[in-house]
Amino acid sequence: MIKFTVNIDPITRIEGHLAVRIEVEDGRVAKAFSSGEMFRGFEILLKGRDPLDAQQITQRICGVCPISHGMASVLAQDRAYGIAPTENGQLGRNLIQAANFLQSHIIHFYQLSALDFIDVAAVIAYEGRDPGLRQLKSWVKAQLASDAIYPAAPFLPRYEGDYLKDTDTNITILKHYLDALNMRAIAHRMAAVLAGKLPHAPGLVPGGITETITAEKIASMEAMLSKLREFIDHCFLPDVLETAAAFPQYLREGRGCSNFLVYGAYPESGSMSNLFPPGVVIGGELSPLNVKLITEDTSHSFYSSPSGLGPGSGQTVPGHVPGHESKDAYSWVKAPRYEGNVMEVGPLARIMVAALRQEDSALKNLTQQTLARFNMGLENMESVMGRHIARALECKVVADRSAAWIEKLIPGETAFRDFEIPENGMGMGLTEAPRGALGHWISIRKGKIENYQCVVPTTWNCSPRDDRGVPGPVEQALVGTPVADDHNPIEAVRVVRSFDPCLACAVH
Amino acid sequence: MKEITRRKFLKLSAKLAAMMGLSASAVPKIAEALDEIASGTLPVLWLQGLSCSGCSVSLMNSEDPGPLRILTRYLSLLFHSTLSTATGHTGMEIINRSIDLGGYCLVVEGSVPLGMPEACRMGEELFTDQLVRAAMKADAVIAVGSCAASGGIPGAENNPTGAVSVPAFLQEKGIQKPLIRIPGCPAHPDWLVGVIAHVVKMGIPPLDAEHRPKMFFSRLIHDICPRFADYERERFAKTFSEEGCFFKLGCLGPLTHADCSLRLWNGGTNFCINAGSPCIGCAAEDFPQAVSFPMYTKNPSGKVKKG
Repeated sequence: MIKFTVNIDPITRIEGHLAVRIEVEDGRVAKAFSSGEMFRGFEILLKGRDPLDAQQITQRICGVCPISHGMASVLAQDRAYGIAPTENGQLGRNLIQAANFLQSHIIHFYQLSALDFIDVAAVIAYEGRDPGLRQLKSWVKAQLASDAIYPAAPFLPRYEGDYLKDTDTNITILKHYLDALNMRAIAHRMAAVLAGKLPHAPGLVPGGITETITAEKIASMEAMLSKLREFIDHCFLPDVLETAAAFPQYLREGRGCSNFLVYGAYPESGSMSNLFPPGVVIGGELSPLNVKLITEDTSHSFYSSPSGLGPGSGQTVPGHVPGHESKDAYSWVKAPRYEGNVMEVGPLARIMVAALRQEDSALKNLTQQTLARFNMGLENMESVMGRHIARALECKVVADRSAAWIEKLIPGETAFRDFEIPENGMGMGLTEAPRGALGHWISIRKGKIENYQCVVPTTWNCSPRDDRGVPGPVEQALVGTPVADDHNPIEAVRVVRSFDPCLACAVH
Repeated sequence: MKEITRRKFLKLSAKLAAMMGLSASAVPKIAEALDEIASGTLPVLWLQGLSCSGCSVSLMNSEDPGPLRILTRYLSLLFHSTLSTATGHTGMEIINRSIDLGGYCLVVEGSVPLGMPEACRMGEELFTDQLVRAAMKADAVIAVGSCAASGGIPGAENNPTGAVSVPAFLQEKGIQKPLIRIPGCPAHPDWLVGVIAHVVKMGIPPLDAEHRPKMFFSRLIHDICPRFADYERERFAKTFSEEGCFFKLGCLGPLTHADCSLRLWNGGTNFCINAGSPCIGCAAEDFPQAVSFPMYTKNPSGKVKKG
């Protein structure tokens, strides 16, 4: 039996510091260990601070999805202060969150994942007249002819593997790689219209947003959104589906734990529903969300704080106490569980929950249409390509819905409701980050933060083993993946990247 | 590309060496390095410590030049964790070989866990060790963003990792290199791109005593604030979103050197104060301040008065 172990460290083209060790037996991954390698201690340094610092400091957990943290924090504070945003405030928050969603999903497919599938070297054969591609072509050619030690860095070198052969598809997606650089910046500009700046937005506060709504801003956002929608409809979604068709094995590989958790996001006034409905899927059965069932295990993480606490009373103490099984610890990521179950969060989870819910939703309808068109079943979604497809589908749903939210904004009416900070209070803020279910828990005592806990999407997805030794979602998804070459474990990183890991978030 | 004469270089290098407190014998070496840099693109090794990648994302928001032009015309980006196609051992080979050969500009994003080195690892190596290796062989070091430039949020009071800025870490390790600090949480793309363009075309830009490029950090936000007239007329906003000067809400514009109010963010779209929010001083030396120093003075329990 051929056996080898590879420690893929660092896993690049994700956010942050992730290492994944795979043990391969007979050509397939038998065991996988996902290690978060960086710890800053946000929950510790927030203690004793002014509660209003929280939405600013927690945004800095992550430069890719700061808005999600800002949103979870202001939702927790809204609750602690007993306030709710105005209609304009709610719409403004949705639009800021949506715009950052779009930039995150676009960057994830093109800049972070696509180069695992498409062949960047194909640009050398390009004969067309697109200025961006011609610039890239002449640069790559000059680089390869130069005596640079690493010509065409950071695009080369790479793992050798079965990259896409078809020149036209390669060129098309490379062209969209370049366009995506511009598109994601436009999405950030759209967010900045109402949020002040991106990354790390000043305008998200308890009680709504600080920006005022004007006709000019509405027109500006509407114009930017229409460019983004064209890109999503005509480039992003078709590119993902084309890549999936070219790599059909990845509609089966990388299945994962098959349990899904969604907190829900994008509340809409006038209806009780969210654009992304909440729910829990365990063993194929849908049930309502009960946050009291969330706990965090620490037996395989570098903490001495007790295992199995709920996030409302969670603790974060780095290091190990005597007697603690520290030899088992291999990650700075904790292991959150839902009633003891390993849960996947993110676009796939949102699609699965929407699909299993009785009522129609934009997400459910678009998923069903797409699956029918490509002769696929919902089970194909639980895969590497399924996650990419889910991301592109919900990107379209969010972008389309944003147009309606922009329409509803009322110029001149306030988007901010003033508030007072109570001496004591508690709040929980649940939302959906691009990478999945995100929760912040704040408790305030004598006007200061007494405790603050964040349970973040990649904490779920990249979690290490729990107290019972059950591996986390990425670890489970890797098991069974064929890996042909210990020097080029490209199959394994394709699985990992399909989860869009964000390690700065996971550990914080 | 603008040609730079050898004489001009030596002059610049001498100035640089004096600024860095280096002996005159270091001058030829620096000149050589800068010569090489000016002859083409700037070889950059980009490492991330205790970071959120926000400065990398911010750099991608650069409009003219955009990211592709930066990558092909200004930089030879040897390695960048978020952008490099190379992963795992392929990535580490690039880092190690680049360090062996030296002669690059080291860009560091994120602070350094001096008090708890195990808080950051990459490629089966402590980040602290990697940073020492990489800095020793660098021609110059750019600390981008408030975390790298001054410690930032990971270095805030009560942090558990003993995080420090890159300059503080290098000093602790006795490593002297030409150093540029670009604070900001995140750093504005123009600040980094402007520094890179200056280094490529003319060498290291003029720096202030804090090693910040003067062209971006010589003025206080308050002095160039669009609401400065409100301050003069004592028209003060009482809460977020209101018109008037945010001074009484704890705006840190009076203590923060940066040009946000003129430059604006996201391609000139907006910036904090225009969006109805006080400046939180994200480019200030001691951001995010002490536990007892709130970002806003809205909360009656936050007794400390600013300014």
